[in-house]
Amino acid sequence: MTENMQENVRTNIRTKRMTAPQIMKYIIVAVILAYIAVLMAYASGSSRPFEEVEAALSSALDGSGLKKMDSQMLKRNFGLNSADYAGVMYYASESSMSAEEVLLIRVSGDSQVQEVADAVSERISSRKNAFDGYAPEQVKLLEDAQQSVRGRYVFFAVSPDAEEYRAVFDGSL
Amino acid sequence: MVFSSITFLFLFLPIVLAVYYIVPEKAKNIILLIASILFYAWGEPVYVILMILSILLNYFCGQDIEGKSDDPVKAKRSVVFAVVVNVLILMFFKYYGFLLDMLNSVLPAAIPYRELPLPVGISFYTFQSLSYVLDVYWKKVRTQKNILYFALYISMFPQLIAGPIVRYIDIERQLVKRQISISKLGQGAMFFIRGLAKKVILANTAGEIFEQISAMPAGNLSVLMAWLGCFSYAFQIYFDFSGYSDMAVGLGKMFGFEFRKNFDYPYISKSITEFWRRWHISLSTWFREYVYIPLGGNRCSAVRNIVNLMIVWTLTGMWHGAAWNFIAWGVYYGVLLVLEKYVWGVSLDDAPGAVRHIYSLVFVMIGWVFFFSPSIGYALRYLAAMFGGGAGLADSGAWFILLTHWLLYLLAVLGSTRIGYALVNGAIGVFADGRPRMIAAGVIYTGMFFISVAFLVTETFNPFLYFRF
Repeated sequence: MTENMQENVRTNIRTKRMTAPQIMKYIIVAVILAYIAVLMAYASGSSRPFEEVEAALSSALDGSGLKKMDSQMLKRNFGLNSADYAGVMYYASESSMSAEEVLLIRVSGDSQVQEVADAVSERISSRKNAFDGYAPEQVKLLEDAQQSVRGRYVFFAVSPDAEEYRAVFDGSL
Repeated sequence: MVFSSITFLFLFLPIVLAVYYIVPEKAKNIILLIASILFYAWGEPVYVILMILSILLNYFCGQDIEGKSDDPVKAKRSVVFAVVVNVLILMFFKYYGFLLDMLNSVLPAAIPYRELPLPVGISFYTFQSLSYVLDVYWKKVRTQKNILYFALYISMFPQLIAGPIVRYIDIERQLVKRQISISKLGQGAMFFIRGLAKKVILANTAGEIFEQISAMPAGNLSVLMAWLGCFSYAFQIYFDFSGYSDMAVGLGKMFGFEFRKNFDYPYISKSITEFWRRWHISLSTWFREYVYIPLGGNRCSAVRNIVNLMIVWTLTGMWHGAAWNFIAWGVYYGVLLVLEKYVWGVSLDDAPGAVRHIYSLVFVMIGWVFFFSPSIGYALRYLAAMFGGGAGLADSGAWFILLTHWLLYLLAVLGSTRIGYALVNGAIGVFADGRPRMIAAGVIYTGMFFISVAFLVTETFNPFLYFRF
């Protein structure tokens, strides 16, 4: 190999060597892709129709003793208007001594997610106040309540089987 | 977190301001950065990671572009990479569901897909990042070597969620050195309170009226009711967004920054061209600097100029959301601006001021119908009602709304013109210079603040309209 050729090879290696910012930007793009993959797996909602998710959750609630509630109860307990959302399923115990309830809402737009999440937080807080001092087991259920926002679906459950319902919800998406 | 929330007003802001003013000069940017990340994480605990990754990506992209500035081909490749990755991220989070829905509508069987909520503020911080990498490429600015300063530029909480879109070139020096004073803090507080009052007193009340009217079937609206609905929305969106911008400018001042104004009384415009010089100024400026001018702007043939205008306005519509009504809204303005420029602009200039004003308002109101409608079909039905295709000329419901809310409409009209500002300043100006005038200003603005808080504690969660963009 002549000296000129060797110099050309050295120049090529020098010019092809990546700089630190270049390496970093590729690494960050890779991290962003991995992050999106994780989001899709664990935080995404689904385009699945509300009726299908509702059906899966309703069959899990069969035999739970919870009763399906109407839009008036949703308004009274959460301050939410069911007509504002793409889908609402609300089950609650008929006993005033029980804090058990399960709520599933598919919002119509992203801006409603926070509104529903705030209503759920408010509900937990008011129920804790209501049961505080005389029904510690209900307060414990409220403390262990399961909440999940997956895309446009908002799920909330207060029950000894709340984790199981959550798993059904996740699986139905 | 929302500026117009009790948590922000009475917890977050006082603590951040107190710490910011106590710590030494060198620590101020770090405090502001931590506060900004906490502010974002409060509402978006998952997506705060995306924002941090976006900051790191653009920080290194900027360095890579500048490092290759001696080799135009490599620098160009590098900037194209930065722009493409930023746009792809934005498109994925904003338009992926929309594109799949479109595909599903033409396919025989729908493809189920997993959807993610839109990260709040992504359109704003992506545009800020793009302005940085493009300005570095065009050598208008040097790269920011200090990653804390760069992170602060992208994530600064006063303007992170809904703008104004601050260009790096406008804030580069302020990141390093800025004037912080008690007088500027006071000015900032006045801006902030004005914005808060606009949002919670005027925008939210106008929003309630609009909600009532838009809940009715469009075909059942009388002409008066349809126009009332449209004006209510026009006032809601103006006071909501300009209120947010005033709060952002005010907060910026409190922390020593100077942001450019984002609104300049757009409803007093006498042409659509003028309206867009006064409405969401930072977005129009961004599209002019980074899309319209690079496409050739108006230094080209008329046909090419029309194509450029239509591209810019279609993109402006798309920027607002992944829906056909926003695209229609953007195209509508593109067509109007082309017509003003090439067809009736000269005649319009010769028309009396009142005629030009009415012309602008009518076309802006029609534009809002596309903007607020959930679908193009609804927009057309609503427009038909506005021009007599609904339920008559006027109905008792419309008169009832007008008579029970005349004060709101009066305040809204005054507030959207210079008269409202002049009245407040005039009331303060009655008092002698110095201490009396300061006390008068203090009383007026404290009153506005407490009235706003009274509205806040009695109403439900009411985020800013532009959060969804």
